[in-house]
Amino acid sequence: MENTNTLPTVTPQQLFFKRWTTTIMVALGIIAITIWQYMLDPQATEAVLASTVRSSTPLVLGALCGLMGERSGVINIGIEGQMLMGAFIGFLANVWTGNLLFSVFAAVFSGAIMGLLLAYMSVTLKMDQIIGGTVINILALGLTGYFYQVGLTTDGKMQSISLGFLADIPIIGPALFNNPPITYATFVLVFLIHYILFHTKWGLRSRSVGEHPRAADTLGVNVFKVRYINVIAGGAIAGLAGAFLTLEAVGSFERAMTNGRGFVALAVMIFGKFTPFGAWGAALLFGFANAIQTQLQFADIQVPHQFIGMFPYILTIIVLSGFVGRTHIPAADGVPYEKE
Amino acid sequence: MKKLYLVFAVLAIAALALSACGSSEPEAATVSEDDCADEAVLCVGLVTDVGEIDDKSFNQSAWEGVQLAVDEMGAFSKYVETKDAKDYAANIGLFAEKDYDVIVTVGFAMGDATLAAAAEYPEIDFIGVDQGQWGGEVANVAGLIFPEDKSGFLAGALAAQMTETGTIAAVLGTDLVPPVVAFKEGYEAGALYINPDINLISTYHPGGMDVAFVDPEWGATTSKQAIDQGADVVFGAGGKTGNGALIEVASHEGSLCIGVDTDQWETVPEAQPCLITSAMKLITPGVFDLISASSAGEFPAGNFLGTVGLAPFHDFDDSVPQEVKDTLDEIDAGLQDGSITTGYGE
Repeated sequence: MENTNTLPTVTPQQLFFKRWTTTIMVALGIIAITIWQYMLDPQATEAVLASTVRSSTPLVLGALCGLMGERSGVINIGIEGQMLMGAFIGFLANVWTGNLLFSVFAAVFSGAIMGLLLAYMSVTLKMDQIIGGTVINILALGLTGYFYQVGLTTDGKMQSISLGFLADIPIIGPALFNNPPITYATFVLVFLIHYILFHTKWGLRSRSVGEHPRAADTLGVNVFKVRYINVIAGGAIAGLAGAFLTLEAVGSFERAMTNGRGFVALAVMIFGKFTPFGAWGAALLFGFANAIQTQLQFADIQVPHQFIGMFPYILTIIVLSGFVGRTHIPAADGVPYEKE
Repeated sequence: MKKLYLVFAVLAIAALALSACGSSEPEAATVSEDDCADEAVLCVGLVTDVGEIDDKSFNQSAWEGVQLAVDEMGAFSKYVETKDAKDYAANIGLFAEKDYDVIVTVGFAMGDATLAAAAEYPEIDFIGVDQGQWGGEVANVAGLIFPEDKSGFLAGALAAQMTETGTIAAVLGTDLVPPVVAFKEGYEAGALYINPDINLISTYHPGGMDVAFVDPEWGATTSKQAIDQGADVVFGAGGKTGNGALIEVASHEGSLCIGVDTDQWETVPEAQPCLITSAMKLITPGVFDLISASSAGEFPAGNFLGTVGLAPFHDFDDSVPQEVKDTLDEIDAGLQDGSITTGYGE
């Protein structure tokens, strides 16, 4: 039977523009403003861009942690706690050993342990995943606050490594190619996780487990194993975000120093439509808003600084409410899998 | 399986308890809290602002003032850490109900709770650190306040003389807290006093009271943004946020930083490579003086002005030229006799 009801044909190009128009417009707008500003004051513009990259780094890592879990069906609102634990253990390791590389591994490892705890609660025990994440947040806040002793000091933090002539490129050079190691690692991780999720067998399995675990199970995918590994890997990435805070950005630990970055990372992940590149772009936008509000104050321009800080959150609400394309949330996100 | 749930429940409760409870350590003294009702025993309670007693900043300085009173006058003392701004009144009540003689409340934000408690317990003397009594005097409340603008003025004058690039920065807590604003305005006025053409870049934390003073990462990122555009002296004023700024400056060779409140050479050793001085407000002696006044029955109601000044230069003593030191001394004298004004609050 012929289908007389012809659907309007949508070419891939049209689909592409439909999905990305807003993103491209925002990006072009920012690029235009940046170039204009660069002509007015190159030094300040490069400072703003470097600051953008720097404040976006923990958000990108947090969002990557979140989407590793959510793509395979485990909601992770414990990013904040995993980050804080990583920051604390990394700091302690640095105090005791003075070896920055070892400390980063300690932070990543402690984040992974927190990930294991979340996986155990949400996959094996089938606990409510929101409660599981909350337990992690409170546990991390309590443990780190209790065991932190004032007066512990470290020798220093990671320094920027300039990538030769690349760092001399105008405008973007200093922001992208003159960074400390964890920031470079973040750039690599964005590409790596995109590749794993969308171009490998493991990624396909992860996503299928997040969309329809029963179907995946029928086809012989071990749902529990996939979820465990992804949530633990996510925890390790959150641990790296913690290492960024204590070993690269601040060089010291303070109680509750994550200050909600784990939760902002969740917003970044959703804003980025559960994709690594989307999350990167969203995090850069959040970082940009932060850098701009600082710069406006530097320039003594009297805009209420809360107003600029609010901007990315308003965009997130707009994205969530579906005005800007649809965000596809993995269908089995937050649903514990019961094997029959 | 049920056992495991139990284990998690216990873990969760333990975590809650660890994060929620404010620790309070009674001093090993011969007197105990039960003797506080006795007229002869001087009992001093201290309520911190949101934050810890060992915050390397104003809570700690105030507590050291109380400890001085313990050593000198044999007082009994105890503190409670406020974990949430909603608990101000409850925490003050912990001491008031036990008939403490003096209660120290630390921080501008606790001003209203302090006045309310003072009305309820007229026989107790209240010392409010950073709480200006502008709404009229209350007989049993003394607001320990500081001319932060003068301290900031000295810091700004020093920064303007030490800078080589002609750009100096300030990374600050929130403008919701008047002392922070006073530090900033004084700093800028002091810098302009030395060099009217100086390029000043300063910024407040955009968050609310709950994060503005406890965000070292923002402080660090912001001070790098300032250094990247040529600032070579950074004034970090804003609790741990400011500390983050100081530590960041320390990793940029040739840049200087200025601490706040206490001599941060002692409290933030990571910043020693850049820490030229700190714009201090001497909370410890101020609290001690007020406790002694209360014990002597001469409690001054209303505003009690504490002293401010710059901390020692420590390792930078040789790199600060003598004429700079002389200028600072002149300015200090001028600020005290009123021949130089900071312009703040006029």
